[in-house]
Amino acid sequence: MKSPYARFALSRTAQAVVVVLLAYVFTFIVISVLPGDPVSSTLKSPDSGFTQDDIDRIIAYYGLDEPLLTQLWTALTRFLIGDFGISLRSNLPVSQLIAEALPSTLILATTALIVAIILAALIAWGTQVLPGEYGQGLLRALPSLFLSVPNFVIGLLLIQVFAFGLGLFRIIDAESPWSTFFAAVALGIPVSAQLAEVLIANLDHESRQEYVAVARSQGLRRTRLFARHLVKPSALPTITVLALIVGELLGGSLITETIFGRTGIGTLVQRAVASQDLPVLQAVVSLAAVVFVVVNLIADLAYPLLDPRVSLEHSLRSRDSDPTTEQPIRTTLQEEVSVI
Amino acid sequence: MTTRTRHPLQRAALTVTTALATIALIAGCASGIAPQASTGSDEPQEGGDITFLIDSLGATWIPNSSSISSYQGHVWGHVTDKLIYVDGEGELSPWVAESWEQNDAATEFTIHLKAGVTFSDGTPLDAAAVVANIDIWAKGAPDKGIARIGLFPSANYVGAEAVDDTTVKVTFSKATLSFIPTLAYHGSILISPETLALPAEEQADLSNDIGSGPFVVESWKEGDSVVLKKRDDYDWGPEALDHTGPAYLDSITYKIVAEPTLRTGSVQSGQADVAYNASPQELDALKDEGFFVSVPRYLGFVNGYALNVTAAPFGEEAVRQAFSHGIDRDEILSTVYTEDWHAAESFVQSNVPEATDHTDAFAYDPEESAQLLDDAGWVEGADGVREKDGQRLALTLYANPYLATSKAIDELVAQQLAEIGFKVDIEAYDVVTYGEKVINNKTLAATEITRSFVDIGTIPGVLTASNPGDEDWFKVGTSDATLNDLSAQVASATDRDSRAAVFDDLQQYVLEKGYFVPITQIVQRVYVQTPDLHDVTYNGLAYANYYTAWADR
Repeated sequence: MKSPYARFALSRTAQAVVVVLLAYVFTFIVISVLPGDPVSSTLKSPDSGFTQDDIDRIIAYYGLDEPLLTQLWTALTRFLIGDFGISLRSNLPVSQLIAEALPSTLILATTALIVAIILAALIAWGTQVLPGEYGQGLLRALPSLFLSVPNFVIGLLLIQVFAFGLGLFRIIDAESPWSTFFAAVALGIPVSAQLAEVLIANLDHESRQEYVAVARSQGLRRTRLFARHLVKPSALPTITVLALIVGELLGGSLITETIFGRTGIGTLVQRAVASQDLPVLQAVVSLAAVVFVVVNLIADLAYPLLDPRVSLEHSLRSRDSDPTTEQPIRTTLQEEVSVI
Repeated sequence: MTTRTRHPLQRAALTVTTALATIALIAGCASGIAPQASTGSDEPQEGGDITFLIDSLGATWIPNSSSISSYQGHVWGHVTDKLIYVDGEGELSPWVAESWEQNDAATEFTIHLKAGVTFSDGTPLDAAAVVANIDIWAKGAPDKGIARIGLFPSANYVGAEAVDDTTVKVTFSKATLSFIPTLAYHGSILISPETLALPAEEQADLSNDIGSGPFVVESWKEGDSVVLKKRDDYDWGPEALDHTGPAYLDSITYKIVAEPTLRTGSVQSGQADVAYNASPQELDALKDEGFFVSVPRYLGFVNGYALNVTAAPFGEEAVRQAFSHGIDRDEILSTVYTEDWHAAESFVQSNVPEATDHTDAFAYDPEESAQLLDDAGWVEGADGVREKDGQRLALTLYANPYLATSKAIDELVAQQLAEIGFKVDIEAYDVVTYGEKVINNKTLAATEITRSFVDIGTIPGVLTASNPGDEDWFKVGTSDATLNDLSAQVASATDRDSRAAVFDDLQQYVLEKGYFVPITQIVQRVYVQTPDLHDVTYNGLAYANYYTAWADR
């Protein structure tokens, strides 16, 4: 007998596998439509001086002259047994490239997330507890400012001031703690803006509720009110946003990594796109899909725990049987992926 | 996510560059550490670690595929040796090969090796190892996905054999004067035979690639950095460098920093020692600040256009000549470059030993251009573009993505030619699209050329289509008897002096006919260096060599 949890988990896992496979095939199709391949583009570089004959022979070795469907089938069967193949560009195993790049990106993304959460929380806290002119004016303007300044401008400014000016870190020690911290700040600032906006909106909403008026009338101070009553309900939608932000961190890491000289998934993708290195691209897209699916699954599961009104039973039943029942606020996986 | 990134990325890169001006203003406080004057000692000092910032470390480390790359060539130049050294004037001198001779027909070459040279794993660099290397340069290993070395005279290659431990005999089916100079080319690096026997994916791991150079690979991270450390028992550097024994420096770190202003910024702030490929516009300011700027030229073709005689409007000689005389090269030099760049004197760089000055054949002369076009019946239309038999005098230039200044040059050329009635459009593609749409596209009117070589023996193969595999840059095939004859004489020459005389005629002929339109001498490798690094040498391919360098700190 299956418990609702098992049913829930099973269906989500099946969905996840389908999403990953579709992402894989989709990448293949899109890249195949583009002109060129990494092998011939390297061989055709004007400095190399190869004849078309030489190029054709090397391309035949890589199977790049096979029909597209054959190439897709080879890639797909390899992928299903966990073999990501050999990078066409570097000739190194794709799994090795990813294993080398992943830790750097994970550290950067995690640090950036922490920076973003702290920054967003501080801004949101400030808007509720600081006096009008600071809390309402200055702090509320910050998120839109953060969003409008491009990521790389923030990054270059941080480097100019803290690396070249103050000598706090060196570009060439890209993985050092200070270097990582400033890269995380550059990446985390735009992300914090989104978090802060959602958080502020929810805090505003909650603070208009009757229970807040009651609490205020009982003489509760702003800070206590914030910590005791406002944070928890306002955090709920923020968690939804957090799950979406993971995707943003992965995407945003590209520019940050390039500027700060880090070698992570972002730079790996950049080089793979520039040279149409299909095996690498497919592996990274699948990896991104897996991360996204897992993070959303975690968010899905965390939601009922934070808000008893959104129960698992409720969420399952409402979809299976009774369409008129109020839908849970949390969007489903498919909806999110299709939005991206 | 991934598939959309290319164009936004390029836009981002552009925006980065433009935004930097603003940032430089905002962060004016952060101009960094001023370079210190050298403490004055001229005696080389042992020790020191340097950091070399580079835009990219290319695609793969398979020696055959990567040694000719403008990026990986730096690392290979320190990890491996070559048989012969070539200096900035194209002069050849002994390295691992102590001496060499050839037969009168220039088909058989005997190379005598230095005794006692070893690879860093201890195995000897003997005749057998050299034979294994020459074979892989000439043929590659296509069944392993490994290409031969581009520009190696493979077409005539018969074979190499080890006569004894230190003697190698190499045979060609036709006169191949370019063989010996090619041994000094950046592609011809000596690698341990054990490495060469590895499958492609293991050769792609740099730590498996064993050379005999003054440095060895200590560690590397794909797409990020390579750390080299000194080899203490090294004692067979090029004689021309006038230095024996191991290198002075302890280590060299090659680190990728993609953004050019961050590379120079790091050197300015004392965080790195050398920044590769700075933009020409930055150089004067850097020099004023006391940094050392090197713009060595490589041996090769100048930067210019190869015109296609089978594509309109260049079927007519008068139009090609008008095009050539319509370009104001001085304006290009003063607008796009600094005084470190030189005007072209022929279609090869002036440091090529056989190069002679043919400036008159393509001098800027807009009146002459206009006259040529008038005489040929091209009449100016209402919009200033000339026409003839309903054809407009129009063409498209494709900016070369391998040369950062290419688009700016094309834009200037378009302006200059518009004044004499040409309509010039410009297309700029990324490297991949360029490779697909422009390189080997036989229908384009003009193709921009930047290419290095060590010996003019490679040139006939690009001028005509006499042999299979010839590149036939101007699509004349074998239709021009004079060009054919001159090319064949250069190709089959058996001594360098008689070849140089024919090559002088060939240069004049190609330029007069307007087949090749030179723009400027090319500098593709730009080095910005801290002043406390001394005695860096640059070979004929413009690569910086730190074997002789020492740090004063």
